[in-house]
Amino acid sequence: MEVLTSLGHGFAVAFQPLNLFWCFAGVFLGTVVGVMPGLGPAATIAMLLPLTFNMPPTSAVIMLAGIYYGAKYGGSTTAILLNVPGESASVVTCLDGYQMARNGRAGAALGIAAISSFIAGTVGVIGLMLLAPPLAKFALSFSSPEYFALMAMGLAMVVLLAGDSMIKALLAMLVGLWIASMGIDLFSDASRFTFGQTEMLDGVDFVIVAIGVFALGEVLGNMEKRGEGTMLPVPKGLRNLLPTMAELKACRFAFLNGSIIGFVIGVLPGAGSTIASFISYGVEKAVSKHPEKFGTGVPEGVAAPEGANNSETGGALVPLLTLGIPGSGTTAILLAAFILWGLRPGPLMIQDNPELFWGLVASMYVGNIMLLVLNLPLIPLFAQILKLREYILYPIIFGISVVGVFAVSASLFDCWMLAAFALLGYAMRRLDYPTAPLILGLVLGDSMERALRQSLMMSQGDLGILVSRPISATMLFLAVALLCLPLFRRANTWRLKALEENG
Amino acid sequence: MNIRSNIIIAACAAALAAAPAWAQFKPTKPVEFIVHTGPGGGADVLARFMAQVIEKENLAPVRFQVNNKSGGGGLTAMAYVAEKKGDTHAIAVFTGNWLTNPLTRTEAKFTVKDMTPVARLVLEPALVAVKADAPFKTLKDFIEASKKAPGTMKQSGGSTTSRDNVVRQLLMKDTGANWAYISFPGGGERIAALLGGHVNMMVIEPQEAGEHIKAGNMRVIAQVSDKRLAGYPNVPTIKEAGYDIPNVEQVRGIVMPSGVAPDVVAYYEDLFLRLSKTATWQKYLEEQQFQDGYMKSAELAKFFDVYTDKMRGILKEAGAKVVR
Repeated sequence: MEVLTSLGHGFAVAFQPLNLFWCFAGVFLGTVVGVMPGLGPAATIAMLLPLTFNMPPTSAVIMLAGIYYGAKYGGSTTAILLNVPGESASVVTCLDGYQMARNGRAGAALGIAAISSFIAGTVGVIGLMLLAPPLAKFALSFSSPEYFALMAMGLAMVVLLAGDSMIKALLAMLVGLWIASMGIDLFSDASRFTFGQTEMLDGVDFVIVAIGVFALGEVLGNMEKRGEGTMLPVPKGLRNLLPTMAELKACRFAFLNGSIIGFVIGVLPGAGSTIASFISYGVEKAVSKHPEKFGTGVPEGVAAPEGANNSETGGALVPLLTLGIPGSGTTAILLAAFILWGLRPGPLMIQDNPELFWGLVASMYVGNIMLLVLNLPLIPLFAQILKLREYILYPIIFGISVVGVFAVSASLFDCWMLAAFALLGYAMRRLDYPTAPLILGLVLGDSMERALRQSLMMSQGDLGILVSRPISATMLFLAVALLCLPLFRRANTWRLKALEENG
Repeated sequence: MNIRSNIIIAACAAALAAAPAWAQFKPTKPVEFIVHTGPGGGADVLARFMAQVIEKENLAPVRFQVNNKSGGGGLTAMAYVAEKKGDTHAIAVFTGNWLTNPLTRTEAKFTVKDMTPVARLVLEPALVAVKADAPFKTLKDFIEASKKAPGTMKQSGGSTTSRDNVVRQLLMKDTGANWAYISFPGGGERIAALLGGHVNMMVIEPQEAGEHIKAGNMRVIAQVSDKRLAGYPNVPTIKEAGYDIPNVEQVRGIVMPSGVAPDVVAYYEDLFLRLSKTATWQKYLEEQQFQDGYMKSAELAKFFDVYTDKMRGILKEAGAKVVR
């Protein structure tokens, strides 16, 4: 009951015309930067920060949070239409979203992404509202061994992302892990695989690899086939641009799965939305009745990761607001913003600033509805992009990709790296290597290595620390089970075959 | 390099002493304000805040435009500034990393010696904190405990060249104690490790610690500072706690490219002096619990030398590979 009263006060704050305006401004801007590859919510919030010094803190936080979760909505658009991840968390959306677009279901994929984002975004806010303090305690019980086990579980997903050849998938994953190890090593301060280049000291930016391997690799691959001159089918009529009942029904579980996994992983300060979307995709595929269809354009494959990266926002605000601990780049900037306004997120935040906390929570409900209303009508418009001829579409993808990468760092070196990864992506396609495992290795490699080394430093070199802690042991067990999954499937196929032959 | 910047400094000092009669420099176009972090990083937030204060308080006739030259752990920005030799419309925020990172990185092509010091602005003190329910009431308790069981006590912190580790190295050498240092990339993860009971101690910035102390989750057992902070009158500094180790300052300030005339340096030196006197700035320092560390160009040049030498010694002792 107390929650409802507080929420009521929150809505009173959120519904003030000025706050409604700032909420809309935030989610609108968020959608825009989400659609544009490269430029992410973190950079946008930082650049707008000085403008908020003169605003009431509640309005300011409503707007900046709007940018944060709005960007997650926008990120899926280019992922689905052009195979260009709009921001890091939408990499997984490319896998099935782009295939859906190729099958003429671009509108449906965008619709499912928007609906899933809405459901999961709302679940994330509910979680933030009801579970913040107890969940913050849970997050603290997670330490390096648990993070290592979580990452191991994520890495085991490789068996689900592999195509026909497990060996090729593992090779691609190892290359991803290798790229992840580039740059300055936090523990020894040694530089690894930098080839004496200053630009390499911070490692390779994930966005460059994702755009190069996914988007440009795909374009290069398709350009080879230009003689065939196939245009992507875009069905006419509004009805065909929206998801069908059957598609939505297929996503039931994915909506739920994405919402919960995204939120829980969001609460953990050491894991991010990219990891959340990979894991929810993996879970969706693992429990699916037709796992073999994943990667060919199934709606669940869009709904799960899109849901996860949206509810992650609500989750990530839990440690930020209740402990003052930021778990990602964007929340770190929000923390800096709070401090500049003279507010201190921490254990006393909800108690000391109820207006701000509940106003923010209420505004997130409102903002999610705004985003749905804002995004659904845009779908037919965006889907038209695919009607462009290749000789227009491909240069556009090239342009967007290069500008996106350049916008992050303003460095030409990064553009050359993009070119190198585009060639890598092309070569992988030609030689039939799956690209998703490479991205998976790259996303997880750094944090996984760190977690392992931290664990071993804590235990003075005793590997037992990984299995003597219950949460960590459970997750490692799941990881092993996941790795064995293809063996079971294969055994089952043999069994069925044997039965048929006998019968 | 050394000689060149010394000449500039000498020239600056001479120019200031002689109160030049020739025309005073004034910026005529927007000034590029270089930072080594991406948007939202510590130096970036500081620079954007300063640019805002300069504009609001009308301290300069032109705008200050923040330019993020992130990458290379700060080296990219340093190279960018160094290569802008002679540019009178470019300044940069430097931090302690600008002084220490070139010491251990073979990739570094430039050091602060290739730039003109303008002003030191901020000193960031730190606190030694433990979890509130930990048995240690004083720094001595912690050190005695780690002497009893060498290697089992743990401290969370940043990279091995960060201040956290330097303080640890100095304390371990002074006392003969030994405890583990576990690196985490983000401040949030360091605090989470302490509050979750996964490590025993950390060196933390006062504004990061404030809320946790108020909420009763954390206890401060010593201060990394020359004098006690206003907010912690009852907590001894490390020296007062009986450990005679040199204080390791965390600094931030302004540098600019080399090869600029003395009146240009004097202009920016004065601009940031005026900035540091504004009420907004003083309030900011108070809120962040920083100390006003204003220092003029000539003094700052000396400070760079002393600080670099000190860090070189400390890093060598800590076993880091020092390359220059």
